[in-house]
Amino acid sequence: MKPLYLVILSLLCVIAALTGPASAGPADITVISSSLDPQVLMKGDTGTLTIVIQNNGAETVAIRSARLYGSGVVPLSEPYPSVGELGAGNIKTFTFTVRADGGEGTFYPQFVLDFRDGAGSLRYPVPVQVENTPLSASVIKKPDTFAESRTADITVRVGNPRPNNASGVQVIPQGTGFTATPTGGFIGALAPDASGTVTFNLTPTAETDVTFQVVWRNGINTHTADLVLPVAFGEDKKQADPVITNVEVKSESGGYRIVGDVMNVGLESARSVLVTPGPPATPTDPFRVYVVGTLDSDDISSFEVTFKADRGVTEIPLVVEYRDENGNRYTATTMVDLGGTAAAPRSEQSGEFPVAGLIVVVLVALGVGGAIYYSWKRT
Amino acid sequence: MDTGFLRVLFNPGRFFEARMQGEPSLKVPALIALVIGVIGAISAAFSANVTISAFPADMQAFGSIGVAFAVVGGIIGGFFTWVAFGIVFYLVSMLFVGDGDLKRTLEFTGYGLLPQVFGGIIGAIFSYQLISNLTLSTASRPEDIAVVVEALTNAMLADPLTKIIGIVSILFLIWSANIWVFGMKYARNLSTRNALLTVGIPVGLYILINLVTLTGLV
Repeated sequence: MKPLYLVILSLLCVIAALTGPASAGPADITVISSSLDPQVLMKGDTGTLTIVIQNNGAETVAIRSARLYGSGVVPLSEPYPSVGELGAGNIKTFTFTVRADGGEGTFYPQFVLDFRDGAGSLRYPVPVQVENTPLSASVIKKPDTFAESRTADITVRVGNPRPNNASGVQVIPQGTGFTATPTGGFIGALAPDASGTVTFNLTPTAETDVTFQVVWRNGINTHTADLVLPVAFGEDKKQADPVITNVEVKSESGGYRIVGDVMNVGLESARSVLVTPGPPATPTDPFRVYVVGTLDSDDISSFEVTFKADRGVTEIPLVVEYRDENGNRYTATTMVDLGGTAAAPRSEQSGEFPVAGLIVVVLVALGVGGAIYYSWKRT
Repeated sequence: MDTGFLRVLFNPGRFFEARMQGEPSLKVPALIALVIGVIGAISAAFSANVTISAFPADMQAFGSIGVAFAVVGGIIGGFFTWVAFGIVFYLVSMLFVGDGDLKRTLEFTGYGLLPQVFGGIIGAIFSYQLISNLTLSTASRPEDIAVVVEALTNAMLADPLTKIIGIVSILFLIWSANIWVFGMKYARNLSTRNALLTVGIPVGLYILINLVTLTGLV
């Protein structure tokens, strides 16, 4: 009987050898790569997952379907219901749209290939990383204090702490009570751990909060991050500071004349300096306003103004108007005592010859002349 | 105008000639001097009131005293002017061997002041207008009062109305001088020429001083 067993075994081996190539297909299919765009998702992001398989065997493999499923990162696109055959050595790419619905972390949605003829299936867990870290923004340059209508340079730096690229990065100032130039700053793409800066000329008209909104795209998904900069007015430690000294008030017919010195005790230059008397004084010629021009730090200049004031006015403000290098207008007011320095006679009709008085003089002269003539004639 | 003392304005020769027939009387001249003094007092009181309003608040109480002084000074000023001119005319006429008593000279000098009544009224109206147009700041300290008063004076002198008042005053003074010429001719028994010199020299000097002050040459 032993020779008979050997024959049977030999036949089985032959059969196995003949049928072997057909049943060995699924084992030769391998996932050679998978990629996600964007590389790292944020919660709620939609991305494109691309999976590439290759038939490493010598025979064609028949594939029925390909699909993706999982939790945390869920497929949005339909599965591949009928894939077909994959020739020996060939490559095939499957693309799925996925959305990160879970929290942060690494998720493993399952890629499943079903083979025909009951040859089983291939399961491959695809790693997908989800991280919610936003871009970071910070103000790296701003003035010590803000002043109304004074333009200040604000520099915002945007950094990318995420593990993947951020594209289309821009910074947009938002809010009310200010104007900004430019109205938005474009930085572009930011590689991981890279940063970009953008500078704005900010001119506040009131105390407010300026929100610098950082906008970027992660793949096809748009994200924002806000940076709030409180704008509170204060006194600039370096700004020009014109001070009026050596004031002398002179009364003259029709009003007053004030002479004095104006000195810039600030650290910055005061430009287009004007000195003028303020209400209740009414400026009069010849010095309604005195133009000093530019006063550098520690510079001094004399000035002279003429004005009239109503009866009972004991002091009037002297207004120094000036601009900074950006053209912003400032005023400084100094009260000047009139009553303590001089009387202030004023004639409303100053400079106008009283015609009625002249007529009276002529009439009186005629009358007196007539009376004298008459008196001598009667003698 | 042919009756009463107002005749002296237009026919002083006949008026004084007629007055020489009676005894000298100073009643009417004194009344004329009083009226001139009252008019001057009203102007002075108004000016003083305006000036005092510029004083510090704690010194305003002296205002009524200041006004009272101004009134008294104005009234006395009328009589002083009368007597001063009379005495001066009397003394000057002595150079021309004038003959006549001082009382008569004072009487005729007083009548000659009559145009000053009209001049005083017109001057007071102009003064009121001038002062009303002036504005004074209040002196916050007592030591500023002198500055305030000085400023007020400067402002008044600089106003064209002041010159008008001065010219009107001179014109009426010339009218008075004309009357005085006739008055001195009869009161001091002078020739017309000597009467002209008696009146013209002091009045001319007075007018000259006024003109120099008005034109600001001094």
